[in-house]
Amino acid sequence: MPSTNAVSFNTSRVRSYVFRLPLFTRAVIIAIVAFWVIGVQSLWDVRTWGALIPDEIGITTLYRLNTFPFIHLNAFHAIMNILALTPLMERFEAEHGTLTSLALFFGPLTTIPSFIYLFVEKFVLRSNTSVMGASMWVFLLLGMEAIRTYKVNPYLVVATHNIPTWTTPIALLLCVAALVPSSSFLGHLSGLVVGYICGLGYLKFLAPPEKILRWVESKVNIFGRLPYYVNMDQKTYGRFGVLPSSGGSPIGGPTTAKGVVGTGALRLRRDPRILKLPPYLSLLCILVGVVWLFLLPLDDYSRRTYISENALLPGQVHTYFGGSDQNVFRAYKHEVNALVGKSNIECWLTGLCWSRINDKLESIVKGLGLKAGRQNFTYSAAGLVYSGENVYAILQAPRGDATEAIVLVAAWENVKQELNRNGVALALTLARYFKRWSLWSKDIVFLVTPDSIAGPQAWVDAYHDAHDSSRVDSLPLKSGALQGAIAIDYSQESRFESVHIVYDGVNGQLPNLDLINSVVSIAGGQMGMGVALQEMWHHNDQYPDRLRTMLRGMLKQGLGLASGPHSSFIPYHVDAVTLQPFGDGWQDEMAMGRVIEGTFRSLNNLLEHLHQSFFFYLLMQRERFVSIGTYLPSAMLVAINFTIMAIALWVKSGQPESTPAKAADGAEAAGETVTKLNTSTPAVERELFLPLGVVTICQFLAVIPLYLFNHAPENMLTPAFVIFAVFNAVLPHALSSVLTNYYAPSAQQYQLIKSFSLLLLGMFLASLATLNFSLALLVGLLASPLTFMRPWPQSPVLRAACTVLLNTVSPTAILVASAAYWRLDVGAILREVAFAWHVCGMNSPVVVWCVWWPAWLAGSISVLGKSEETKKKTSTVATVKTKAL
Amino acid sequence: MHRIFSFFLFALLSLNFASASSVYHEQLVLQPLPLSALLASFNFRSSTALSAFEAHNFRFFPRSLGQILQHADTRELHLRFTLGRWDAESWGARPWDGAREGGTGVELWAWLEAETDEEADQKWLTLTNALSGLFCASLNFIDGTRTTRPVMSFQPEGDHPNSTVNNMHLLYGVLPHEVVCTENLTPFLKLLPCKSKAGIATLLDGHKLFDASWQSMAIDVRPVCPDGQGCRLEIEQTIDMVLDIERSKRPRDNPIPRPAPGHELKCDTSKPYHADDTCFPADYSTSQDWSLSQLFGKTIERPCPLTDPGVPPVCLNVPDSRTVFVSHGVVEKKNPDGMSRCFDIPPEVDFNLSLPGPEQKEGEEGNGQIEVTSDLVKSKTPLLYAERSFTGHGQERGGVQTMLRNPSPDNEVEFIYMESLPWFMRIYLHTMDARIEGSYGHNSSNSLIEEVYYRPALDRARGTQLEVRMRIPPASTVFLTYDFEKSILRYTEYPPDANRGFDVAAAVITILNSDKSSPRFAAYNLRTTSLLCSLPTPDFSMPYNVIIFTSTAIALAFGGMFNILVRRFVAADEGPESNLKAAGQRLKGRLATLFERLRNKRAGVVAEKQPAPAPQ
Repeated sequence: MPSTNAVSFNTSRVRSYVFRLPLFTRAVIIAIVAFWVIGVQSLWDVRTWGALIPDEIGITTLYRLNTFPFIHLNAFHAIMNILALTPLMERFEAEHGTLTSLALFFGPLTTIPSFIYLFVEKFVLRSNTSVMGASMWVFLLLGMEAIRTYKVNPYLVVATHNIPTWTTPIALLLCVAALVPSSSFLGHLSGLVVGYICGLGYLKFLAPPEKILRWVESKVNIFGRLPYYVNMDQKTYGRFGVLPSSGGSPIGGPTTAKGVVGTGALRLRRDPRILKLPPYLSLLCILVGVVWLFLLPLDDYSRRTYISENALLPGQVHTYFGGSDQNVFRAYKHEVNALVGKSNIECWLTGLCWSRINDKLESIVKGLGLKAGRQNFTYSAAGLVYSGENVYAILQAPRGDATEAIVLVAAWENVKQELNRNGVALALTLARYFKRWSLWSKDIVFLVTPDSIAGPQAWVDAYHDAHDSSRVDSLPLKSGALQGAIAIDYSQESRFESVHIVYDGVNGQLPNLDLINSVVSIAGGQMGMGVALQEMWHHNDQYPDRLRTMLRGMLKQGLGLASGPHSSFIPYHVDAVTLQPFGDGWQDEMAMGRVIEGTFRSLNNLLEHLHQSFFFYLLMQRERFVSIGTYLPSAMLVAINFTIMAIALWVKSGQPESTPAKAADGAEAAGETVTKLNTSTPAVERELFLPLGVVTICQFLAVIPLYLFNHAPENMLTPAFVIFAVFNAVLPHALSSVLTNYYAPSAQQYQLIKSFSLLLLGMFLASLATLNFSLALLVGLLASPLTFMRPWPQSPVLRAACTVLLNTVSPTAILVASAAYWRLDVGAILREVAFAWHVCGMNSPVVVWCVWWPAWLAGSISVLGKSEETKKKTSTVATVKTKAL
Repeated sequence: MHRIFSFFLFALLSLNFASASSVYHEQLVLQPLPLSALLASFNFRSSTALSAFEAHNFRFFPRSLGQILQHADTRELHLRFTLGRWDAESWGARPWDGAREGGTGVELWAWLEAETDEEADQKWLTLTNALSGLFCASLNFIDGTRTTRPVMSFQPEGDHPNSTVNNMHLLYGVLPHEVVCTENLTPFLKLLPCKSKAGIATLLDGHKLFDASWQSMAIDVRPVCPDGQGCRLEIEQTIDMVLDIERSKRPRDNPIPRPAPGHELKCDTSKPYHADDTCFPADYSTSQDWSLSQLFGKTIERPCPLTDPGVPPVCLNVPDSRTVFVSHGVVEKKNPDGMSRCFDIPPEVDFNLSLPGPEQKEGEEGNGQIEVTSDLVKSKTPLLYAERSFTGHGQERGGVQTMLRNPSPDNEVEFIYMESLPWFMRIYLHTMDARIEGSYGHNSSNSLIEEVYYRPALDRARGTQLEVRMRIPPASTVFLTYDFEKSILRYTEYPPDANRGFDVAAAVITILNSDKSSPRFAAYNLRTTSLLCSLPTPDFSMPYNVIIFTSTAIALAFGGMFNILVRRFVAADEGPESNLKAAGQRLKGRLATLFERLRNKRAGVVAEKQPAPAPQ
């Protein structure tokens, strides 16, 4: 059978196959094509004439039972069916002869399924779905073939499951029903059922007796003259239902054939070298991941930014802010300066002085004709109370309907606790200026908050009714859905040179790239001022600067702290950035105002919520970025290295120690059979209870630091950290000694401990990489030594070295090291983290203490492990040998 | 002869009758509002005897509309085109007590005479499609999903004979996303007897009307039967608009609000830091001076000659203390209440009106709010303030919260709150709760909500209809809240701007008339703003992914299974030799022959030294 043994596609073979198609198959194909050609014209609707329509079947229309397989819905349908039918039909005809095929396919094999279909469709389902096409035949023949295959080769082995081969057409049937539109499941099913019955030989009696056929052939000479006619002598098999033999040659046992196919993979699987590979593979993954990251800033791997949302049209409008607005700005600046002295810290805590500032601000905005509202909030974190009052004003869109809004935030103090005098005065001036325009399609909300993190957070939470009403007030006034937010952080008193865009959100969430691109295009392109990202005040667009920008961005993203008033908006899918003027230049407050005006005009143009461009990206220069598809493999490779190692350890733990290999070294001369026997011995029983218990305890212990650092009062944070660091250094030794003294774990159990903890780590990091790429990569790299840790029962030196290495990459040590590097106080860092945890809902502590730390603890325990290996070795070898023999 | 005579007589009679019975009048009421706004309220009313109307004898009644009404058996019709929002906090009660306005977009409700609901639906379809063509609005999109049959909120305004009342069906449809614009104004003006050629309608210009902070166009058709007279069909066309005086005074050729030159800024000179380059603005503290020609860009070009001379065409609501300048020949009539005055315009006179700002009092201090109110007619406090917004976030569920505030210190307010929500917002009725601000718990909601009518939505067939009758105690704020679930639409049901969100129509609040003696059903109407509901929106590159996925699955399944089914396994030694081995064999053979040949050659060379054999 040329087609079935075809190994590679070969045109000449296909041609010869097509030219040697037997007569009936040809006739069927030609008929199908002919009917399709007839169907092209519109005078006579061949489809309604010939299709199998249950309601149309009567005595005079029984022809439909035979015509429907030839008629197809369209050319695609016809081609698909011809392709599927040809090889099956060809084989059938070759095996049974043309005459038998003709008799069967114009008789029972078509009418029986159609009767089944008609009966079920009309009397059971009581509907009237017309069917056509040869696919019923395809399934019928497939059913017959499947039964025959089943008799020869009963099971497909997938992993450890035996799947009977006769079920494959059913899978195919379901697949076709699910994926191909308007395919008739019932029609195919009836074909398949008849195919099965036929294949099982119950329909033998329907085939015309051979004697009669021979008689017919001898009488009607014309058959012999027809080309490609398969007569009774040429047909491959005798009667229906006889087991086939392969292509005229005697049957070679199918099992041996399978063995031949399978041996390659099996041999590879049993090769002991395979088990030596994973550590190198893991190392390779880490290295490739790191190198991948460092390739990103190159021109070939990063892309230029572009505006994806055409509605934004950044920098396409003239901005008119300026002129006499500067006089107004100066007046507001005086008003703001007059309020500065009043915001002393005592009043800040009582909240009374705040109302005085807000009284003034509220009277100014109300004088402009805006609606104003206020909101009190109180947060507590690390024993400190953060409270204040927000004041905000809504400029209602002149012809709008409160369906959408954009926000301008000016915090009274920026994140560095500098007074944002210019920012607040500018926001007031802009409110007055925006009020004059009639083109706003969205409401504009002007928000002044006492600080840069808690105030905006309270406001946004309350705006979306996600606040805890016992601590944060509800908003008295609301507008529509927020479409975007811009925060001004303008504490610099002198003229500035460039604008710094801060865009990091809480938990590494980022605003839509289109927003940043719009600001870059307006500030850089239209206003002619510089734009900087990630505090890179001077950027020469070369590799080192790009890399530095990217790494700074990744660090901020990984930490997940709020970086400005805009950060609180991003979790609610409100795209936001903070604009900070910096440097010494000639741009004044009016230029800053024009940048904001231009940005607001762009946001005002939006018809839809920002959705077009990227939400996952790394920026490395103001006009260069990489998107998630390009950078994600880096973190994924690092995460996968743990998974590879975990799987390798699991496999290894199931195999009898390394003794067989050693034995094989000596016994190599004895021949392959011995090793083969060894490798095919059943897997060693794994003792799972202890490893699972250890890993679970490590995970649960993580609650201690998580709770401690988030709930300790501020003055206790540093002492708590010192105590925890000492505890952290001692804990692995304590746990390890308890383990060895009371449970005496075997080497296999140490392998399993490590396997489980690495499996968890790999799983967590891989999922985290899609949410917060940078955090996953940072934790993955810091935890990467864990992959290569193992017990060193014989070598105390190596064990000590490994312990020291692990202690230098422990979470506590890394925290101390980074605090020292950035010259920060550990207590202050922990206070910030606790604040972010309570106020912004930052979740990096969960990743550090509940993902990284347990894995580190389990790794340390396994390094310190002293298994009773020397004692046990002999006994295990003995058991293995007894099993092997 | 006799027949001809009788025909003439009939014609003459009917003409007389018609001229006597047709009445048309128009009036423009101007009322300055706080924060330099001006409410201009245009009203055009004409009526015709019902018998004449039924005889297809329209006179001032617009024929195009009349024929549609007759064709669709419409007994009463209300059509609203609205844009913007009424700022009740600053502007007070709504004009016409809210009876002549709708929610944002287009609103239509009508009473149709029909035997069955199906017939009513059929006539409603006819009506919406015809009106859609007449007013260039997408009214034909008011299909089953956007149509409701309110039960409590609406009552017919006209007088209907008892015979028809039983067969009248009220249908209500709303299009919140429809943007009202000039193309709707033009057909609206064409219905007027004087079009926009004369009378107050000459002021109506798309540029000004649609630059207004709030505007509402309304058409109301209803039969009225005064006692002792025949019934008449009355059509009332109303346009209300609130102009921002400062914005409207900007010349049309220079509409950009460039910053004024420094010396033109109005500054608060009392500030200690006031200087030439420092100016605390005092813009909004004073109500501004304006004239009709400044605001509308033109004057009223002579009165409409068809109008009833008994009704003054222009009225202005300002206290008598303020001076008003009008064109020469115009007669000013002050009303006895001292708060408004009207103007009679003689024919062939162009009317202009100019209101100078109030006299500046020396030594004014602060924000000047107090003095503004004395220069303006204080508008009534509305009976109820309502504000509706979404709560929650995310794409799965949400909530709606309506804040209802009764400002009156001693009267409670009873009203009907009606929502017609699209079907893809599935509300949870059990979460509906009304609580008074400051109180928690459910016992309050029982006393607040008196009656609920709820008709659940059917997917893709009809929307949710929710009518709640409530009573709010004096001087209290009530929060009416309910939760809903957002359903996922089919791929093809998303509009092109799917990420914008889906508009949810305004809620209709009808405050019931507590005065039982009054024939009016509603004391006050108001609408909340519409909302924008964002549904879960697929990434629209999805079809591409689906095609790729499906093709791959089919290729794998079909290819793989077909291969398994059709392939015959044979033992390795029986089959043809594998290509590599064969190639190796072939190579070996080639090498061998090459070797052979080389050896032969060498042998030949050796042999050549021998005498060559003779050629044959």
